[in-house]
Amino acid sequence: MRSSKRGRHTSSVRARAAYFAIAGMLLVASPAARAQDDLTESKGIDSGNYNVHQSVEFGYRASEINGNKDTYDTFENLGSGVRLFDYTLEMHSLDHKGLLFDDLSFSNFGYGGDPNDVTRLRIGKNKLYDFRVLFRRDKNFWDYNLLANPLNPAALNPPGSLTTGCYVGPPTAAFPQGAPAYCSSPAVAINNSPHAQDLVRRMQDYDLTLLPNSAVQVRLGYSRNRDEGPGFFTTDGGTISDFNENYSYTTNAYRVGVDFKILPRTTISYDQFLSYFRQDNAVSDNPIANPQNFGFVLANPSGVGTPNGTPVDLGNIWSTQTPSEVLPCAAPIVTGTPNTANPTCNGFLSYSQVGSPRNFMPTERFRFQSNYFKNFEMSGSAGYSSSNNQIPNFLETVDGWTARTAERGSTTGGPADAKRVSVNANWSGVYALTDKLRILDSFRYDNWRIPGMWELDETNIFGTGFPGLAGLQQSEAIFNPVNCPLASNAVTCPQHLTTSAADVITGLASSFLGQNLKSNTLEVEYDLNRRVMAHIGYLYTNRTIAQFSDTNDSGLIYFPGGATGTATAANDFLAARGSCTEVTGALPAGCTLNPDGSVTFVAPAAPSPTRSITTINESALLLGVVVRPVDALRITSDFEFGYNDNSYTRIDPRQVQSYKIQANYKPRPWAVVDGAVEIHENRDNVFTVNNLEHDRSFSFATILTANPRLSIDFGYNYWNVYTQSLVCFPYSTTSANPTPPPAALPLSAFPPGVPMLPTGAACPIAGASSPLGALSIYGSTDHFAHSTVIWKPVKRVTATVGYGGSFVRGNTTFLNPLTPSGTLDFDYQRPYGSIAIDVYKGFTYKMSWNYYGFNETGATNPFGLAAIRLEDFNGSNATFSVRYAF
Amino acid sequence: MPEIDKSGVAFSALAGRNASSETGQSSRVLHVRTARVLALTIAGALLPALAFALPQAKPASTDKSPPAAQAPPASPKPETVPTGYLGAEVCKTCHEDLYNGWEKSPHWKQTYQQGGIAKHGCEDCHGPGDAHVAGGGDVTKIFRFETASTKDINQRCLVCHAGGTQHMNAINSEHSKNDVSCVSCHSPHHAKESEFLLIKAQPELCYTCHLQQKAQFDMPFHHRVNEGLIQCSDCHNPHGTVGPKQVRTSSTQDAVCFKCHIDKQGPFVFEHAPIKVDGCQSCHLTHGGPNPHMLKLSNVNLLCLQCHTTSTFSSAPGAPSFHNQASLFQSCLLCHSQIHGSNFDATFFK
Repeated sequence: MRSSKRGRHTSSVRARAAYFAIAGMLLVASPAARAQDDLTESKGIDSGNYNVHQSVEFGYRASEINGNKDTYDTFENLGSGVRLFDYTLEMHSLDHKGLLFDDLSFSNFGYGGDPNDVTRLRIGKNKLYDFRVLFRRDKNFWDYNLLANPLNPAALNPPGSLTTGCYVGPPTAAFPQGAPAYCSSPAVAINNSPHAQDLVRRMQDYDLTLLPNSAVQVRLGYSRNRDEGPGFFTTDGGTISDFNENYSYTTNAYRVGVDFKILPRTTISYDQFLSYFRQDNAVSDNPIANPQNFGFVLANPSGVGTPNGTPVDLGNIWSTQTPSEVLPCAAPIVTGTPNTANPTCNGFLSYSQVGSPRNFMPTERFRFQSNYFKNFEMSGSAGYSSSNNQIPNFLETVDGWTARTAERGSTTGGPADAKRVSVNANWSGVYALTDKLRILDSFRYDNWRIPGMWELDETNIFGTGFPGLAGLQQSEAIFNPVNCPLASNAVTCPQHLTTSAADVITGLASSFLGQNLKSNTLEVEYDLNRRVMAHIGYLYTNRTIAQFSDTNDSGLIYFPGGATGTATAANDFLAARGSCTEVTGALPAGCTLNPDGSVTFVAPAAPSPTRSITTINESALLLGVVVRPVDALRITSDFEFGYNDNSYTRIDPRQVQSYKIQANYKPRPWAVVDGAVEIHENRDNVFTVNNLEHDRSFSFATILTANPRLSIDFGYNYWNVYTQSLVCFPYSTTSANPTPPPAALPLSAFPPGVPMLPTGAACPIAGASSPLGALSIYGSTDHFAHSTVIWKPVKRVTATVGYGGSFVRGNTTFLNPLTPSGTLDFDYQRPYGSIAIDVYKGFTYKMSWNYYGFNETGATNPFGLAAIRLEDFNGSNATFSVRYAF
Repeated sequence: MPEIDKSGVAFSALAGRNASSETGQSSRVLHVRTARVLALTIAGALLPALAFALPQAKPASTDKSPPAAQAPPASPKPETVPTGYLGAEVCKTCHEDLYNGWEKSPHWKQTYQQGGIAKHGCEDCHGPGDAHVAGGGDVTKIFRFETASTKDINQRCLVCHAGGTQHMNAINSEHSKNDVSCVSCHSPHHAKESEFLLIKAQPELCYTCHLQQKAQFDMPFHHRVNEGLIQCSDCHNPHGTVGPKQVRTSSTQDAVCFKCHIDKQGPFVFEHAPIKVDGCQSCHLTHGGPNPHMLKLSNVNLLCLQCHTTSTFSSAPGAPSFHNQASLFQSCLLCHSQIHGSNFDATFFK
């Protein structure tokens, strides 16, 4: 049904595009259009002291997209409407003696609603100034629904049945036809990415150079980057929901530089950068800001506690796959009139997070370049940068219920501060021993460190204990002598569990990350003759990476009060828990019982955390040969063979091999053929990692311009990537993942290839904490083909047809059978065509057609998954525009 | 009623839950966009008018030929002129087309009108022309860029262009090392792009050799190079850098990625260390790829587990026991949403 509907849509779009194209052609073929004068390429007009050349192209784009419009907008986001496709203005002084400027260039495109708007302005007057402006606005719509999707399972089936796609576990004694598993009650499909966003970024760059080409020139610059818009935020809080986040990032950067060319053949530069970053994001979840999250209300007719009818956000993970991981709870909906939220479910009544990081980043840099000495050229730089990121006002407020800790809410805040100090320097020199032999040495030093600190201040809030109320129905309890008199058994006391965290936590979290890098490359370049050049070199790099992270809870306060039967005098009415759990009837060291019944814990001086130090020595052999067998052919090659004696992460290579060969052949003035081979091989093949990676591509492209009326270019690229490594991970045995699947399930219900891991496969790494494991693999092969034909059948008509298509096929280890293959396998095809007709002097009428077809060819909705909408889309854009140039 | 962001786009379209309501705003949005287009057009039209309206230093000439052609300037310091130089006017007699193009280019003033090292016009780049002329146009008697070696070409250009913000590290140019000279990309006489006198606009110019990158930028998830939003030279300095792959650094001497992705820069109290130590490419492809957010793997969890597996030779903590990969935790990013760094949570929750 779906496919036939899509087929009709596609036909409709194609018919519409064809209609537009025919209409456009008829317009062109009209008598008025044929009444043309001789057309010549616009050379601009001379006006005053300037030659002025201006062009503007605007028109209308009609967009008709079927399928998943959000995926289309994530990829392309080209919609319907009037657009300014291009506007350019070029002015050049005829005698290079303009009053304000000699040259001016102003260009724009994309305005009117396209996702990419760019303006460039250049104004210059020789010897006096050069001024450049770049404005870019890009709209970033993102909603590829599989990213961060919780992949909720299908609805629960009765045990032993298999009717609606709920995966049934392996047979057991109780359920001979399979135990219910991978199920939810009800099934809630998440059709949008929980991390969807719709941001707009505006970037502005202004650069003014005063007295260019003078002995002393001054550079002034300013850049601004503003990124803002709505999006979603998820975090763990009992359950996980899509919170609204209003993104707001701003950077203002100022720069001043001076170039001195006082010494012969030498340039000395100094630059000062001042960069200010500020973030004013706000995260919120409440019935007004995010009404779609609050689909149910709380029933509480008792008159105490949380008011009856309070909206509840039950989150976006709905699963009963395993008893220990049920979210938001086993039966989230209480049937009735109306249906209400189960108060014992994990859920939110509201959430907010605010914080305003402010970061000041001054940087100083000194640079020089000189070939003052004969046959010896050198350059270098030294810089110092320090940034200070301060966040004085972070506050997270949670109003909800977390069943596993019995928390009814929390507040978290405290000032934070992180710094980054960077010192780097480099020097490069090349000495020409002879005309054919050169020695090059390049040294690099880079040292940075990031110390950070957060003075955390956290309050965990627990609910009251009114009988007959549970979870969300209980109001937040306030601990004071009135609500919670000794012996702290009142229902108005906060109700803790023995595993509950402290009610008040103050502490200090500190961290450090730094790297000291020293690298030197020594190379010899030799020109064997004018057709063969070669270079050989040796690279040595030493890196030392240091890091630590430590959290010291400097002060904890445990309030008394607990569920019936757990709060007793023996445990100070449950105030003695956590770090203050009584040992042989007494509070441990550091814990003090206060007169109000609470227990205060002051941690002893924190031991100095142990730094993790990683030192890596890298050695690499560098080779390269350039050959010109004939003037028309150039073949270049670069090879690298490297070895690292250590790795920082498991996927950092210990062995590196790189092969790059490129050929450029121009047998005729009208024919160019290019080819390239790039192969990268990385290996961290120690026995507990077994990481292998490769990235291989083979490409060719050719441009044939047989005559001025016909141009053809086409090319093909094969790109293959592969990575493997041993991985271990927790895997619940209660939600069994059998292999082979039960006989009742068709094998076709599972993704192709290896749909899942064998149940019970032990982690192959000795000593690993996780029970299951595998040699994980990911491989992807892309076949990319492109072609363009430009044909001028008559002088006034230019026709273009082209095609670009990517065909990706891959395989990977599926950790879970509910995982769709997503972008592992897809076709993405984009044919296009256009006709441009020179209607009159300077006037050109253009029609273009672009087709987009994205089709995921793998398992899109595996059996057992609450079916989510497909990511596929297809459709056309038809564009009609007029260009006027003079 | 959908929430409208400042750009005038219905936010409900983001959620895909009420997309039809977007059309309710379309006319208003269209008006705003149309007004912007009009404003730009008017601004573009007024800019040249402003220049015309301003007083000129000299009466505007309608003669296209430059004053220099009418009265070729003599060298300001004739005593410094070596023998063999004939002057640009002599070159023009045979190479008028080249002369006319050069006359309009930025090189004209630098190589013709100025004193100092650059004052010989065409011969500043091509060398003294007397032997060439005496030989009846003998092409072997003058420096020709078409046949010169990369080393010689680059040396000639860098006489003037050495140093500065772009050419400071020309020594380390990978292009130069691979026989790609200045005139492989720039053409003083036949430039198609007025900015930097490029023979072809980016990125097509770069795709001429870097064929794999063309395929990567055509992937569904890619940096917007083909769209014209950013250029190859925004991230790479084709004239050479100290680091590998001729990648630039940000003004704060950090990864160039942070120029646009300012929210990922930090510093954070809790850094996701590989980002700062190894770079963004630990998890992302840099040009484009088949996976969302240009991730190196199609499955986020598998990507995380590659590092977060407890083993010897591993600096990252393994996934804890309650991270059941069979059920709830099918995307690490659901909880660890601040994966690029956090100021308030060592596990990147907030």
